[in-house]
Amino acid sequence: MNTTEQVAAKLASSGKRATYCYQCVAGPDLLTVKIVDGVATEVEPNFAACDVHPGGGKVCVKAYGLVQKTYNPNRVLTPMRRSNPNKGRNEDPGFVAISWDEALDTIAVKLRSIMEAGLLDASGYPKVAANFGGGGTPQSYMGTFPAFLAAWGPVDMGFGSGQGVKCTHSEHLYGEFWHRAFTVCPDTPMCNYVISCGANVEASGGVVGVWRHANARERGMKRVQVEPHLSVTGACSAEWVPIRPKTDPAFLYALIHVMLHEAARERLDIAFLKQHSNSPYLVGANGFFLRDATTRKPLLWDLTRNAAVSFDTPGCDPALEGSFGCDALEIGADAEVLAQGRLEGSPSFAKLVAHMQPYSPEWAAGICDVPAATMRRIANEFLDHAQVGTTIEIEGKTLPYRPVAVALGKTVNNGWGGFECVWARTLLATLVGGLEVPGGTLGTTVRLNRPLAERLESVTPGADGFMHYPMNPTDREHWSARPNIRNAYRSMVPLAANGPWSQALGPTHFSWMFLKETPKGLPTVTLPELWFVYRSNPAISFWDTKNVSATMARFPFVVAMAYTRDETNHMADILLPDATDLESLQLIRIGGSKYIEQFWEHEGYALRQPVVAAQGEARDFTDIATELARRTGLLEEYNASINHGSAGVPLKGADWDFSLDTKRAHGRDGIWDAVCKAASAELTGGKQAHGLDWWKEHGLATKPFPHADWYLYPTMVAQGLRFEMPYQERLYRIGKELGNRLHENDMQWWNEQLAEYQTLPVWKDFPGIWEKSLVKMGGTTKDFPFWLLTSRSMQYSWGNNVGIQLIKEVADNVSGHRGVILNAGIAAEMGVEDGDMVEIATPLHSVTARAVVRQGIRPDTLLLLGQFDHWATPFARDFGVPSMNSLVPMSLELTDATGSGADIVRVSLKRAGAKP
Amino acid sequence: MTRWAMVADLRRCVGCQTCTASCKQANATPPDVQWRRVLDMEVGEYPAVKRAFVPVGCMHCDEPPCMHVCPSTATRKRPDGIVTIDYDLCIGCSYCAVACPYQARYKTDRASFAYGKPTAAEKQGFDPKRLAVATKCTFCADRIDAGMAKGLTPGIDPEATPACVNACISQTLSFGDIEDPHSNVSQLLAENQTFRMHEELGTGPGFYYIWDKKGEEAAA
Repeated sequence: MNTTEQVAAKLASSGKRATYCYQCVAGPDLLTVKIVDGVATEVEPNFAACDVHPGGGKVCVKAYGLVQKTYNPNRVLTPMRRSNPNKGRNEDPGFVAISWDEALDTIAVKLRSIMEAGLLDASGYPKVAANFGGGGTPQSYMGTFPAFLAAWGPVDMGFGSGQGVKCTHSEHLYGEFWHRAFTVCPDTPMCNYVISCGANVEASGGVVGVWRHANARERGMKRVQVEPHLSVTGACSAEWVPIRPKTDPAFLYALIHVMLHEAARERLDIAFLKQHSNSPYLVGANGFFLRDATTRKPLLWDLTRNAAVSFDTPGCDPALEGSFGCDALEIGADAEVLAQGRLEGSPSFAKLVAHMQPYSPEWAAGICDVPAATMRRIANEFLDHAQVGTTIEIEGKTLPYRPVAVALGKTVNNGWGGFECVWARTLLATLVGGLEVPGGTLGTTVRLNRPLAERLESVTPGADGFMHYPMNPTDREHWSARPNIRNAYRSMVPLAANGPWSQALGPTHFSWMFLKETPKGLPTVTLPELWFVYRSNPAISFWDTKNVSATMARFPFVVAMAYTRDETNHMADILLPDATDLESLQLIRIGGSKYIEQFWEHEGYALRQPVVAAQGEARDFTDIATELARRTGLLEEYNASINHGSAGVPLKGADWDFSLDTKRAHGRDGIWDAVCKAASAELTGGKQAHGLDWWKEHGLATKPFPHADWYLYPTMVAQGLRFEMPYQERLYRIGKELGNRLHENDMQWWNEQLAEYQTLPVWKDFPGIWEKSLVKMGGTTKDFPFWLLTSRSMQYSWGNNVGIQLIKEVADNVSGHRGVILNAGIAAEMGVEDGDMVEIATPLHSVTARAVVRQGIRPDTLLLLGQFDHWATPFARDFGVPSMNSLVPMSLELTDATGSGADIVRVSLKRAGAKP
Repeated sequence: MTRWAMVADLRRCVGCQTCTASCKQANATPPDVQWRRVLDMEVGEYPAVKRAFVPVGCMHCDEPPCMHVCPSTATRKRPDGIVTIDYDLCIGCSYCAVACPYQARYKTDRASFAYGKPTAAEKQGFDPKRLAVATKCTFCADRIDAGMAKGLTPGIDPEATPACVNACISQTLSFGDIEDPHSNVSQLLAENQTFRMHEELGTGPGFYYIWDKKGEEAAA
């Protein structure tokens, strides 16, 4: 038998095969699939992984849909070509089956013509764009396609499918800045008290999140859930605080006020504030640090010497409060010296204390609709549980132990108010020394800083005693009004950095919006000449979906990897059926500290293998990528990129070299065999070089990952660095500089966003921003009295599984999957009963939904779970469940300085006919 | 003697329905037949409202009402407490479904599949004997029996343990022998406050719900 026949024979047999599921960012889950006569029948946890996986090796509900996903009769199983040149929701694409050769040649011809004419268009934007959904999880399924993209050159990956508005965007950017981490969470296994503002970890934290929090609840951890509706996480919490939507900054500010103005000062971690934060840095009259005239280092006031000294002076006891005169410089934006000589300054902590003075619980009560006594009690409970001064030993290291944390959820930590919330969250941790220490508030993994897989190694010393951060430039010499991609992240959002994921961390709705009208100062935003789409459906998952659909209908050439037909590939020119989860091959890195709550004590690799033969003509993405590279003349660059590490592991190491011959095309198994050997060698320091067959049999291999490496604090101490809290001098400076650059180019349309760059953020009327938007749309708050929100569906989220019957069936057991949740009292007032049809409307759009009448939601709030409203996806198009995405507008005024918007909109509600 | 029982720790359940999905797959049940499912319940009125997730299914009662009303003796109770249905004897009268206070029984008259026609996986699992008869949770008796035959311990060894317990991501569900004082479930019952659903009916459910540690009330 040849190799193909051997594989086929093996697949035809029965047994269990190890693989992984990474359909959402809270993965991967390690599983086995039972095979009977070559047919996948059952998913189970990979029990062999229970000792290394932090969720006991269990598997999320979504993975149980993979069997049906494989055999779904609605799959696209042959390449297809559009026969109708007209595109639009109401146009039948007229897809006709074609051969792989015709499909790949058609794409290659298009790509080669682009290469010949130049990769950038007249505006300087890449002619090729690509869209991958799911928070980066498609990378665990797209095989070597990243190598093809790397070989190609500039690609615009900034057409959003929800990035920026559906993610925890402010947490990502400021998280990388303060925590050196893309997401932030409690150290759940050691935490005793969590304030959770809208964090829905029981729905979004995956197996590991659920596992860790269940253990914590059982041992007595108290979690206070602050949110307008009683989510799954609220249900599992000790207390629910039904706060008014988008007022979380006021709630958090009130807690800080209590800690600064009502609690005894010694209840705070004064030593941490003095030694590990910028609290003692002296601030001058213009809001910038006072600096030594010679070294330009920030100054603090040393109580021992009774003199101003540089922040890094050994053996000093810095003042946190008071006002001090000293010889200094105050340097503003663009290195402008604002003041020099004998200057008066106060420690930033003193500035903070004064700043928070107005934000009492009584002040916040009227804003949040939460009693002042509740906020005061929660603040004191937080302090009571903080155990300031205690330590714990982790793997021989003595570290501070602070078992209190604050967690934030989407819509709280993105869009306007997101900055204030993430600042307040990290500040609450800072005040008790609970930042990046056992029990406290932790960052997880990096996505904007480099190296991607090594969070702690990404920490290097920067200016002023803080971590280096790779801001996009704002200085006159390096800032450019000609961005590299259409969402302009490099020009508009310094914090988006210039890392592996930065394109997706810009204002990704700008790519769609600016196609209609590009604002002054930016090159005219153009249509991409070729757009790749994979595991992404922005026609459903973004906002203003009607207009997004209409816009993508203008794209001249769209190539969609198609599992089934859907609302986005409805506009495609070519559909390519890629072998899906249980049919294809890839090795990925696992373990260490990853998204959400994925903290492992192991790290290594796991294999996703074809447990059954691919259905129809579906092809492995690696083979598709190789063929595209070959047919576009990029094979050498493509192979070189794989050798360099674009398949997840560099193929050449210190003592091993499994590099591919760059001159010829390699088959899928050959490529991944080399990757497997390199991964094996990396794990064992070159002692082992297990190939693909070994990995297929074993599924995974790991080595220990230190528990102590969950915490950033030891690295900061070792490098003599301070956390950049509470005072945001650097952000203030870059905001000023960005403003200077924009105004020099007569770009005034970002002025409201520029105001977000503050040293100490003030409360603004955040709900009022959406109310003003409502008025701009032609409505009034009286006529549109409800806040429409959304919430995570664990069963569906990011699984690209909306067409899977099993998932629909089990998801429907969870309240809200069948319609819009509204408060029972309001329903009674309106004469609406459970199951009645209601109309939800903005001044511009409306949808209808079944009423789901519940007690666990504020009277002024409506909730639509997940993202539905499908009209093309088979099976899902019959759900009859709407989505808030059809109602939420895209607009500049609802975009914050990080380029993010929040999932919230004012709506009206009325009956829409008789009960069915 | 052995008495198999299920324990659900309500402090831990998040209503994710992973147990439901795994049960459906392991037992190849047709659409809308859920031998294991999790209720999403609310108690109280806004704002003093609690939401709870409660796994339910056949309780494998000591005194199964379904068995007592079964006219064909299809429903029986094994010595180890597992309540069974002999599909060859069941006449599909549904008396049992009416008698069951836990709404745990299903009857499907015609074959139904996820997408109309059976997929390859559904063909593998399809059992025509299940048509027009009562069906319900079996505690995965086939797994228990096969596992024990290999010397494995149900509730401890995955191969001998009900699929829903294996799948549970929050460790809500535990399974074991409550007649063995050293078993996992006996330990849980000894350490925690529990209740059984509709205990007042005298059915003696083999399904226990943990809601707090013992001694917590006194401590509070």
